[in-house]
Amino acid sequence: MKLAKFLFIPYFLLKLSSLLAQGDFHANLQNDFPEQSFKIAPAIGLNPWPTADLVISNLVQWDIKRHLSLVSYSAFTYNSVFLRDFNHIKTNYNYSVSQKLGVGTSLFSKRASHTFSLLAGIKYNGFKETLENPDYENVPVSVSSLGPDYGCMYHLQVGKKKLFFSYRMYLPLYPYPMRRLDITAIDGNMANVSLEFGLGVRLN
Amino acid sequence: MKKLIPIFFALVIASCQQEEFSADLTVAFSIESAISDATYPIKVALPENYDSEGQKYATIYVLDGEDNFDFVAENCKKISHDLSTSNVLVVSIGYGNDRADDYTPSKAMEGGGGAEKFMQFIEHELIPKIESDFAVDTVRECRVILGHSFGGLLGAYAFTNHNNVFGNYIMLSPSIWYDNEIMLKLEQENRIANSKNHQLVYLGIGQLENEGRMLAPFEAFYQRLLNNYPDIALSHHLEPQLGHMGSRNPNTLKGLNFYFQNR
Repeated sequence: MKLAKFLFIPYFLLKLSSLLAQGDFHANLQNDFPEQSFKIAPAIGLNPWPTADLVISNLVQWDIKRHLSLVSYSAFTYNSVFLRDFNHIKTNYNYSVSQKLGVGTSLFSKRASHTFSLLAGIKYNGFKETLENPDYENVPVSVSSLGPDYGCMYHLQVGKKKLFFSYRMYLPLYPYPMRRLDITAIDGNMANVSLEFGLGVRLN
Repeated sequence: MKKLIPIFFALVIASCQQEEFSADLTVAFSIESAISDATYPIKVALPENYDSEGQKYATIYVLDGEDNFDFVAENCKKISHDLSTSNVLVVSIGYGNDRADDYTPSKAMEGGGGAEKFMQFIEHELIPKIESDFAVDTVRECRVILGHSFGGLLGAYAFTNHNNVFGNYIMLSPSIWYDNEIMLKLEQENRIANSKNHQLVYLGIGQLENEGRMLAPFEAFYQRLLNNYPDIALSHHLEPQLGHMGSRNPNTLKGLNFYFQNR
């Protein structure tokens, strides 16, 4: 039951988006959006659970056909914003950089388009912390790791003019199989959903 | 496309299914503890062809038994088979009190500090029951304690404060950060007595446990063991690309392999 509860969340969001999109879908509405376009959408956001990571990202979307897009997603994440000095453990630095490429498909409603993409790429994690408890010896630890990163992204674009509002949600599928579906689990897939808001620009 | 959605979800659900250890080889009961004032569900996984007359088995006591028992029992069977060595009895200790109370050595914001009572329960109520009811070896060197997170912290507490109970420790992502790293203080206080004993210790953690609390205290504890215990078989491993929960099972496997190969 717990599993079903957590699967329900992304399923509900995806279903809601597609229902909204299909609800006011008309063939002539599609024509309001250009057949082909090239968009850049920088954004800021959060991985809300459990220690709040700050995300600065840029999404480049090239709609090569009405329902087919190529997507590039770059992100810099400042990890654990609010947990940098705890029990005499000092975080010296803690960040991630990722670059992913993928393909997506779009649905259109009156004023918005909804793009669902599958993305894959690499992620670099740089991290150093030091135990600085005056009662004990100082012990520093650093980690530098490069690994795969893949997942799915929902991208909502509101507005048909040159500038548009961009909201996106990225759900990592790595590591697969899912380690934990609990949204409060520290390294569960669901816990690393990132939610981002920004302003995009259509270049053609 | 619509037909693929249920298949996708079925695959996700299937990938999350836990492997269950054979019910035929599992004995389940509960113990009411007078020491910690709680009732603990216990499960014991017996080796295949369990011989209660002619053989004495080692025992692995598994904390957070509800989550870890099946995985540990199943893999002990596989590893002992692969190494052609005698299997062990796996004893699952379920929850009687909140784990944040039973597994923590002192009262702090994150836990109630009931580890001493819980260790007394293990030493004076659980182990005597297991050793009277099953064909197990009763020497310290044939007992293992395995725990993850707060369970790993209890493993560290068993090492520092009850070193005569267990000879082998599999500590997975232990919460050494707890209460301003109090485990480092307890290790120092009990070092002289404990360093005379032979120890087997596996310390595992996820490389991406970067929430600002796990890695530096873990490394400090490892360095203490490495530098101050002459008679120790010690292994230290950072599981690449995984965090706190993701690293648990891979590190459990490595810890069990280390134990079976070096016991």
